[in-house]
Amino acid sequence: MSTVEQTLIVPRTEASNVKTAANAAAPGTTTMRVQPVARALSPARAALRQFLRSPSGVAGAILLLALILATIFGPMLYPIDPLEIVGLPFSPPDADALLGTDYLGRDVLAGLIHGGRATMTVGAVAALITIVIGVSVGALSGFFGGWIDSLLVKISEFFQVLPPLLFAMVLVTLFGPRLTTITIAIGAVSWTSAARLTRAEFMRLRDLDFIKASRAAGAGNWHLIMRVVLPNALPPIIVSATLAIGVAILFEGGLSFLGLGDPNTMSWGLMIGQNRNYVLDAWWAVTFPGAAIFLAVLAVSLVGDGINDAVNPRLRRR
Amino acid sequence: MMLSKRSFLTGALGGMALAGLPSETWAQSAGSGGGTLVIGSSQVPRHFNGAVQSGIATALPSSQIFASPLRFDESWNPQPYLAKSWEIAADGLSVTLKLVDDAVFHDGKPVTSDDVAFSVMAIKENHPFKTMLAAVDKVETPDPKIAVIKLAHPHPALLLAMSPALMPILPKHIYGDGQDIKTHPANLKPIGSGPYKFTEYKQGDYYTLEKFDKFFIPGRPKLDKIVVRLISDPNALLVSTERGEIHAAPFIAGVRDIERLEKSQNLVVTDKGFTGIGALNWLAFNTRKKPLDDVRVRQAIAYAANRDFIVKKLMGGKAKPATGPIAPGSPLDEANVEQYKFDLEKARKLLDEAGLKPGADGMRVTLTIDYIPGADEQQRNVAEYLRSALKRVGLNLEVRAAPDFPTWAQRVSNYDFDMTMDNVYNWGDPVIGVDRTYLSSNIRKGIIWSNTQQYSNPKVDDILAKAAVETAPDKRKALYSEFQKIVVEDVPIYFINATPYYNAFAKGLGGLPTTIWGVASPLDELYWATPPKI
Amino acid sequence: MTLLTHLFGRLANAAMLLLAVLVLNFCLIHAAPGDPVQVIAGEMGGASAEVIAALRAKYGLDHSVLEQLFTYLHNVLLGDFGYSYYFNQPVLGLIAQRLPATLYLAFASVMVAVVVGTLLGVVSARRPNGLLSHAVTVLSLAGYAAPIFWTGLLLLLLFGSVWPILPVSGMADVVHPRTGLAYGLDVLEHLILPAATLALVFVAQYSRLARVNMIDVLSSDYVRTARAKGLPESVVIFKHALRNALIPIVTVMGLQFGNLFAGAVLVETVYSWPGMGRLVFDSILRRDYPTLMAVLFFSAVIVIAANIATDLVYRLIDPRIRGGSR
Repeated sequence: MSTVEQTLIVPRTEASNVKTAANAAAPGTTTMRVQPVARALSPARAALRQFLRSPSGVAGAILLLALILATIFGPMLYPIDPLEIVGLPFSPPDADALLGTDYLGRDVLAGLIHGGRATMTVGAVAALITIVIGVSVGALSGFFGGWIDSLLVKISEFFQVLPPLLFAMVLVTLFGPRLTTITIAIGAVSWTSAARLTRAEFMRLRDLDFIKASRAAGAGNWHLIMRVVLPNALPPIIVSATLAIGVAILFEGGLSFLGLGDPNTMSWGLMIGQNRNYVLDAWWAVTFPGAAIFLAVLAVSLVGDGINDAVNPRLRRR
Repeated sequence: MMLSKRSFLTGALGGMALAGLPSETWAQSAGSGGGTLVIGSSQVPRHFNGAVQSGIATALPSSQIFASPLRFDESWNPQPYLAKSWEIAADGLSVTLKLVDDAVFHDGKPVTSDDVAFSVMAIKENHPFKTMLAAVDKVETPDPKIAVIKLAHPHPALLLAMSPALMPILPKHIYGDGQDIKTHPANLKPIGSGPYKFTEYKQGDYYTLEKFDKFFIPGRPKLDKIVVRLISDPNALLVSTERGEIHAAPFIAGVRDIERLEKSQNLVVTDKGFTGIGALNWLAFNTRKKPLDDVRVRQAIAYAANRDFIVKKLMGGKAKPATGPIAPGSPLDEANVEQYKFDLEKARKLLDEAGLKPGADGMRVTLTIDYIPGADEQQRNVAEYLRSALKRVGLNLEVRAAPDFPTWAQRVSNYDFDMTMDNVYNWGDPVIGVDRTYLSSNIRKGIIWSNTQQYSNPKVDDILAKAAVETAPDKRKALYSEFQKIVVEDVPIYFINATPYYNAFAKGLGGLPTTIWGVASPLDELYWATPPKI
Repeated sequence: MTLLTHLFGRLANAAMLLLAVLVLNFCLIHAAPGDPVQVIAGEMGGASAEVIAALRAKYGLDHSVLEQLFTYLHNVLLGDFGYSYYFNQPVLGLIAQRLPATLYLAFASVMVAVVVGTLLGVVSARRPNGLLSHAVTVLSLAGYAAPIFWTGLLLLLLFGSVWPILPVSGMADVVHPRTGLAYGLDVLEHLILPAATLALVFVAQYSRLARVNMIDVLSSDYVRTARAKGLPESVVIFKHALRNALIPIVTVMGLQFGNLFAGAVLVETVYSWPGMGRLVFDSILRRDYPTLMAVLFFSAVIVIAANIATDLVYRLIDPRIRGGSR
């Protein structure tokens, strides 16, 4: 396993963590990051305070909150069925339909409001799958080392060589374009970076004195992993989870764009995918859902950045 | 010097670029015939041999490369092509073709009756349309220029089967080498006797055809070269056509695209040239599955579907309504059938009678609807519209997307469906493209575009059998009229519209292909009246 | 460990991975519903039972799955990737015709992204709190968050229709085929929109990466020493600091080849670029097994090759890890 492979693949995490991972992966070759072993003085609160000091992070959080609230309460305030035909096809934005209608005469605004639910859910659930698989594999790999590590590294290497979007396309084609399959497919193809990150953190942490001390005190492996190492490895994992939401949302869009969306559930990606052929005549039906995806991904990225700066003191000054 | 404003890079470099292409461009501007035609299409051909491959993607190039015994005009009349004359025996059991004298293949070898015999048998053997030449027993060749097609029984559909898209005459000296014709290497480097010879195919990008100097009709073709660009994205295709980078865009089926191109000052947009193909868009029912085995349920759906809205609103008035199994525009089309005018009350009543009572939520039953993936406007959009429309009479539709064609074909051909949108072509004569959908003998599991509705009516079987061998045109028409009335009454299929195929041509072009086969027949008369500036 | 043994180890590893890719894809694809013969029959315009049986025999689909797998692996070993159901020709030929266009697009985009991204990063690193620096940060976030197919559609709308100055489809003018330099420029012109769309995502990431690393490097001891020696700022940045800041970019560049490839698929469908993208799309939509498997195989080959190349480059520019980190 070379250093190169251990760095991260998820685009946004790389930017901030490439160094961290490199340090962890090749211990002794560069200066070790100084990590507070048991974070003194309520680390969560300190991090929150730090987070609130970052204007972009706060802006992202507000934007994200607004989007989440809109998708939760929007459908109640704007109870138009997004799959129902409410007007003439391709009506431009006007008083009847604020953002116009699509190729069937369905309300674009209703699509945005109701479709956001599906998109956000896919993003969150797929990110959760990504993190669960990634953290499990990475934790086992990094904690135990040896043959378990070699095996798991081989497996994740395998998942890494297939371009994730291509692989997800194949999975969705094979198992049918339904929202559940799409979500699982996205999770199944994008966990490797979380695994690598977790593995690196675990490898770094497991040899530290306080872990050795716990082990000597008779703590079992399960207890060590869950109660001792994982909490200490959590900050970068949280960052990576946040960013995974953005990646999943973009993936859902990409798959729908290629015609692999679920036609029975309105989502932002589906709107773009279904209306793409009409962009020359009805720009609104593509532009607005695209902008919604853009804002959602932007929001989670800003939040991810903010968290990263808050929990990672060394990067704070940047 | 004229420079297009479209390209700043090439423009900036104008001198150099133009120096690099001296002859062709400027020959065009002189307006002296010749010139290059660029066709843009999203239809990617599997190969170029129409003898073993149906479909418009292949029919377009195949009809340019290969000549056929006959061609047709705008009013369904056969015209001489490779056959300078043809004669049907009084008993209807043989057809004698006299070939033109000076036809040669692109490699210089003469076209003989041996090639005709070989091609007819090869098509009978390999073409997916089994009924098309099923009546052919053998082809006799008493003379190198005379071919006699012997039939087991009268077969009036044979004349249309001799069209360019359906009966390309293959060179026996190339295809007769024992290799399987369906995968013959020459299918991708074809040699025929048509007006244009094949020159190059760049996968996924374009293919080119060049004027064949020794084409057997003097003075044709008029163009020097045809380039067919394969453009996958409809937006890009549209933009390129508007800008004049593409001179002909055949098979446009998108209503918005049609409307947009019609507005362009530089284009002529026409729906002429598709009556032969006769593409129908319809909703098919699984007539053996409950509750759709009840004709009243099917009729109710027909009353609730509102063909008028689909055709006028959804398809912007660009599509012609279709009311029966034979496409509008065919001389055999019978307009006087049950129309199923939009009537929600009648639909509800029929459903009540069939025992489908509404539940507490107003819904009677949930049914699935499939559609062919990749044909959004005709298929997916209508399916989605129907979900919305049928809800009003208490039918809940679940739209089942198929990720790819085989998934859809698998479901439908194995009867794992309630309803499906489908798009099927008439191909000129009912025997070729219509009978297959309704004959009970063609209920063949696992085979797509057979009678997948599993519709079975002995009377229909009987009429179709009679009509297939009836040589008197008016009697034949009467038989088909009766057939259409019965089928529409039985609703194994709810007919929606003729697929609105349109062709767009640059204004400077003359001799536009407006025959029943349109661009699926030789473009040898097409010429530049006013050559394009770029 | 010498470079050569290291390389050998990587190659052996790569071979194992590729074998796994072949086997997994084969199993996945054969586990799925949908009969490829239906496609062929459908593409031909419908077929009789006899024709279907004949096709099945012809493509070896009448054998057991295990038999098919071994035949397939054996053939691949001999360089035979089978015969495309849909395109009706040998798969290897299909790939050979499409791959160059995609590689061309991918490399052009990466180069643009690296150069532009690094420059933006370096410039903004000089004043981490300046206006330019914030602008670069915003730009990088925006470039990352915009879905690539959406940007593509909007650019197509803008430069194809609203302000039609750029070609939006194909790779070259096929009506007036040019040669030599004129051809190169023609292709370059066709490349502008696809490459710009694809590069946008990566410019965002690289500028960010470069910025973070430059800030780090510029505050390091040896840069301070260099400055103290009175070297001009440009020499300090471009000779000393840039080299170090480039390392993570090279790393990420190699690692992202998979994403780049996938991005190219999306961009190619928008601009009808005649590369692998459309091939992937068609082979999936038509369930053209041989083509689909070969496409996945070759994309894996490319990703692995990019990783190995990155590893080597990395070893060249960063002397610290030459000793090996295994």
